[in-house]
Amino acid sequence: MSVLIDLLLAILTVYLALQCLLAQRLSQSVFLFFAFGLALALAWVRLGAVDVAITEAAIAAGFMGVLFLDALRDFSPAVSENQEDLKAVQNPPSKNATKSLLLPRLALGLGLGLFLLIALEAVWKTPDGGGLTAAAVALLPESGVEHPVTAVLLNFRAYDTWLEIGVILLGLLAIYAAGGINLYRKPGVAAKDPLLRQVILFSTPVLFLFGAFLLYFGKTGPGGAFQAAVLWGAIGIMLHLGGWPVFAVLPRWLGQLILTLGLGFFLVLGFLFMARGDALFEYPPAYAGILILIVETLAAISIAAALTTIYANINQMQEEPKQNESTT
Amino acid sequence: MTDLPTSPFPALLVGLPILVATLSLFFRPRGKAVVGLMGCLLTGGLGLIALVEVMQQGTVIHILGGWDPPLGILLRMDSLAAVFIGMTAVVGVFISLYAWWFFRAREATNGGFPLFWPLWLFLWAGLNGLFLSNDLFNLFVTIEVIGMSAVALAVLSGKTAAQIAGLRYLLAAITGSMAYLFGVALIYGSTGTLDLGLLRQVLEPGATTTFALLVITLGLMIKMAGFPFHFWLPPAHSSALAPVSALLSALVVKGAFYILLRLWMEVFGVSITFSAGQLIGLAGAIAVIWGSWQAFMQTSLKLIVAHSSVAQLGYLLMIFPLLILAPGVAAGSADWLSPAWTAGVYQVMAHAFAKASFFLSAGIIIMALGHDHKGSLRDLASRMPMTVMAIGIAGVSLIGLPPSGGFFAKWMLLKGIFLSGQWWWAPVVLAGSFLTAGYVFMLLRLAFATAREKEPFRPVPKGLEVCALLLALGSFLIVLPAEYLIQFLESSEAFGSGIQSIMEGGTYGND
Repeated sequence: MSVLIDLLLAILTVYLALQCLLAQRLSQSVFLFFAFGLALALAWVRLGAVDVAITEAAIAAGFMGVLFLDALRDFSPAVSENQEDLKAVQNPPSKNATKSLLLPRLALGLGLGLFLLIALEAVWKTPDGGGLTAAAVALLPESGVEHPVTAVLLNFRAYDTWLEIGVILLGLLAIYAAGGINLYRKPGVAAKDPLLRQVILFSTPVLFLFGAFLLYFGKTGPGGAFQAAVLWGAIGIMLHLGGWPVFAVLPRWLGQLILTLGLGFFLVLGFLFMARGDALFEYPPAYAGILILIVETLAAISIAAALTTIYANINQMQEEPKQNESTT
Repeated sequence: MTDLPTSPFPALLVGLPILVATLSLFFRPRGKAVVGLMGCLLTGGLGLIALVEVMQQGTVIHILGGWDPPLGILLRMDSLAAVFIGMTAVVGVFISLYAWWFFRAREATNGGFPLFWPLWLFLWAGLNGLFLSNDLFNLFVTIEVIGMSAVALAVLSGKTAAQIAGLRYLLAAITGSMAYLFGVALIYGSTGTLDLGLLRQVLEPGATTTFALLVITLGLMIKMAGFPFHFWLPPAHSSALAPVSALLSALVVKGAFYILLRLWMEVFGVSITFSAGQLIGLAGAIAVIWGSWQAFMQTSLKLIVAHSSVAQLGYLLMIFPLLILAPGVAAGSADWLSPAWTAGVYQVMAHAFAKASFFLSAGIIIMALGHDHKGSLRDLASRMPMTVMAIGIAGVSLIGLPPSGGFFAKWMLLKGIFLSGQWWWAPVVLAGSFLTAGYVFMLLRLAFATAREKEPFRPVPKGLEVCALLLALGSFLIVLPAEYLIQFLESSEAFGSGIQSIMEGGTYGND
């Protein structure tokens, strides 16, 4: 029975991915991408990696989907306003062009197919090295937490996790760098739909509690900072959509503090213990549990803030030209 | 490896720049620049102190979190890493000083790009982390930090051309990262360890290892713009702001080369064939000819310099075929290994200094003239003698004329080529030098020619010209301590080693 489910899931995942690529319209692609992300999340559950499944569903299907939808909203008027563009999109290129492209396409397709076959063979033949699970479980009592994944992420390999939190902050900085826009501009249009605002208000505490649960549950089971951060980030995005731009009302320094707290506290704590003569990110086993919880909470807050700000700023980058048009 | 002396420097070299970068975010634009410059000087000083520490103590390590590998991560600073970190420190400090004056001069018109400072500090931390890393997955994370900050820096100017080039750069960088990560997953799945030292012991030849090496090499080749994956480099490097172009060309691409060298020489010896080395060398040789020719054909100064980077990176790939011993050759009798390694390290350093100087000079010219079309370089020698001198000196090092660092690198490369009997690489080295001489002398001829018409000319801060000139001189000065430096490098395990290639062929190569 379970083999049948797995087989169906595998076929479904590949089918959705293909459909997503082959869809005629961008909006179809985006919705198929949602579905693809969820199918992938289910596959992760079947593989026993619940942590990854939650992250996959939240980031790939959730956050990315929101960004895609936002981009889509920006694309659609541009395409429909300009009829020539629409024709260029709809009409396939002339037959001559198709013919001349056929050979390179065929070669590329064959090359990629061959590469895929070799990749499959290599993956298939991979011997089972056992991984580091046994080593992680053996040292679990000294790590301060009871779940091996959390122990690896926040203690054994805290350095990698710290750098990855830095990458998220860098992503935000990259958006500022690309757009050249100021920090925390006042938002554009607020949603006027009272029902939408009520739903957002109602779901905010629920999402907050669920995020907090995932964060705390990470100590003993699948969950943790990244998963909680996505849920909290969703709160920020919904509030933004509902016309309550949380970050625009905060003072500048407080917003920046929230964004950098996760990375900064993680590092300062590491430096403090290093000054005592330990290594960077070395926690005394007696306090490791509580320290990890604090680091995780602050990291989750910072990542949630970064996700919210990324969404809010991309939203503004697209609204900017429209506002200019309306004023002139 | 865990019994080596422990030092706090490796942790500080990564932590400190990121701490300052985070702090600088709280400041207003002017303060960001001040804090950023202080952070850069501090990081540079720290890098040099760490280099001295390694010279005195030998290889030092830092066991992060106190957890031994394979579970934990170990930072290892051997002489090879120390030299790369020292080079980054010197070049980085000069570029930072240049950036300070450069952005001050442009502050009135476009706000002085305050985000440059935190991004550059993140990039520096990523580079230091990469040179220190001894863990296959941690290397991936440092690549991510470097890639993300490099792309953000590349689009900082806000110009449409830079954004298009930056998007291409981002896509190439992500493709490279994913390919690398795929290889890491295969290796972790089959061996259960990520530590480079342990991997070397447990890695077994087979389809998985070979395929993992293939995708990792592919990913890193994309990252270092090795032929035929060089397409993203010229637009991204030439459309960025001048200090950013210098950083990207002088330092960022070297990171991927460093990993490639480490992984091939120290880890994947079991599945490397002689022909794989020849293929990488071939890619390098084509890059040398193609990049130099393209540089020769360009009409704008920054595009000339950017295409020249493709060629100069090609020389780095050409040391790989020399380091792989044909079946039956004993490592002890291979006297060309040391020259080949020296050529690699010196080519990295000479190119870092010369190319940084070249891009900084291009920035000065753009600032003075408002554009960098090569025709407008006429009569530059009388108006900006110091910049022309910097271009001349850096150019001489790129060509490989004595007594520059570039000459020493190419001389050693030729020596390695002839000692190993792989004579077929020699014409490529010579042809590359001739083509380089072509575009460098073309630029110099224009600079000394009399102007047809006077173009409007804006004065440029002297500090900018001094930075560019000092970096150009640096590409000569690195030759002075050569003997001492090579002796120091030989204390590193990898330096001077070769790989005994395996006999049977299969699906190997780089593209």
